[in-house]
Amino acid sequence: MSARRIPTRAWVGLVLLVGLGLASWLAGRVFPEALARTCPLGTDPTHPDRTVCELAFGGLWVSLAIGLTAGALSTVLGLGVAMSARAAGARVEHWVLRAVDAVFALPDVLVVMVLQLAGQSMLDAGHAGGLGPFGLMVVSLALVGWAGPARMFRNRLATLEGQEFIAASRALGAGRWHLLRVHLWPSLRPFVLAVFLSRLPTAILTESTVSFFGIARMEPMSLGRYLGTSYAALIYEGGARVVLPAWGLLVLLVLGASLSSRALGAGTRRA
Amino acid sequence: MPPALLRLGRQLVLVPIVAIASYFLMAALPLTTADDAKRQVAPEVLASYQRDLGLGQPLGFLRPWEKLFRGERLGTSAQGITGDELLWKLSGSVGVGLVALVLALGWALAFALLRARWRRSRLSVLGDALPAAAFGTPVFIPALLLAPAVVERGHLLPELTAAFVISVWPGIFLGTLVADALDTELARDYVRTALGKGLSPRSVLWRHVLPNVLPALLDAVGPVATALLAGSFAAERVFGLPYFGQLYVLAVLQKQVAVVVVATTVFASLLVLVGLAVEFVRLLVDPRAREARS
Repeated sequence: MSARRIPTRAWVGLVLLVGLGLASWLAGRVFPEALARTCPLGTDPTHPDRTVCELAFGGLWVSLAIGLTAGALSTVLGLGVAMSARAAGARVEHWVLRAVDAVFALPDVLVVMVLQLAGQSMLDAGHAGGLGPFGLMVVSLALVGWAGPARMFRNRLATLEGQEFIAASRALGAGRWHLLRVHLWPSLRPFVLAVFLSRLPTAILTESTVSFFGIARMEPMSLGRYLGTSYAALIYEGGARVVLPAWGLLVLLVLGASLSSRALGAGTRRA
Repeated sequence: MPPALLRLGRQLVLVPIVAIASYFLMAALPLTTADDAKRQVAPEVLASYQRDLGLGQPLGFLRPWEKLFRGERLGTSAQGITGDELLWKLSGSVGVGLVALVLALGWALAFALLRARWRRSRLSVLGDALPAAAFGTPVFIPALLLAPAVVERGHLLPELTAAFVISVWPGIFLGTLVADALDTELARDYVRTALGKGLSPRSVLWRHVLPNVLPALLDAVGPVATALLAGSFAAERVFGLPYFGQLYVLAVLQKQVAVVVVATTVFASLLVLVGLAVEFVRLLVDPRAREARS
């Protein structure tokens, strides 16, 4: 899909995502003092040394970093599983799809909580293989999130492999690697981006919920952990001032990812 | 083997898989007692871990279930749970989930009809923005905003508010699916024929179109039930409801691993039951499903 053929909605979503990423990086990491001086929302009741803006934009940066890394890892895992299943033949593919359905049936939040419990116990015992809380969260989200992409990539590959140009190329003696590199990958590329973008908000929301419970010990704080640590103050001291900025940033992030993902997905189906 | 039995078998097999996988994951945890150099668990938690999981015993993975059926307490004395307490907590969560499901179906119908009305107006942008806003709002955010007003009032108000809060996103999601199915059905020939024969649009919608939209709704009930139950974790925590979601979060936070194994398996069983109920309703309302079965 060339740049000119990317739908306008996808551009709007991508600009929103890049804009939020840049804003959180500049405000939360590069110029936090300037943000602290100009924040109109005042300090957070449970973190008196930090302003609401600092915590919200700093949290957005961490959440975005986790979402991007976990989304990319889930997408790569899902693509790998789908391609291996297609290459291994119908019987293996059938069982792989059953496994995908089993993973898909359980809610992400529940499985990530269990994986975090296991991961943190290993971390405390010094057996986490060098992973910190950030790495543990990314691995947990990727282990939960690969099933959806695997199912989508498998269906997309099956559709593409059924098309005439693939049959013609096979008849002309093309090997599996040639088919993948020359014919399948160019058609699959925009779809990979769409699937990755669709995983982004899911990963961020799951991480936010698990961190909100206090299960993930993320430092610096993500949006979910920030809201989770401000829990008591939020209930008794006018929580809207603290909740609304973080909520607004999350909604904008999801809006950007879903707009671009849906527009790119629709574009690849038409192509 | 009939396809319905095959589907049943595929759904039921999830329960032992989850039970065994969660048991062996928990049994492999490197938990040790308090140590100055590392953050570890209390001796009482470690003792309950080894006792409740039957570590080193033959068929140890049945040990938590054996204790539960005998009426013994799983976990430590302060934070553990018996079988009766587990059932009570589960019934509380299922009650909240059922109210939320009814509310979600109401949201879904309302949103689908509104989106069909907005389709050719300036408000059509709301049809895209509302699902994004609902999806982008974790359950705990509206729960936090509403909690100060309801949390100390009692009289089932926290339960009802929790059901309201967790029903919004699944309702809008269902509504999007129903709206898409409505668009497809409204473009079909039988709708034009019914309108041409003089039936009112309302009558065509309720008597002919909505029954055909129902299977699409049923397809989504499974994922929606999962979302409702997962959403109840956050809502119960914020509203302080002492049910299954709260139990699960506390068990993970306090490393009550035997409780985690049992609760995870119970959760998977609940999802399987929902799946079976959906299949049963589908057979009742969808003639195409009955034909496929026979």
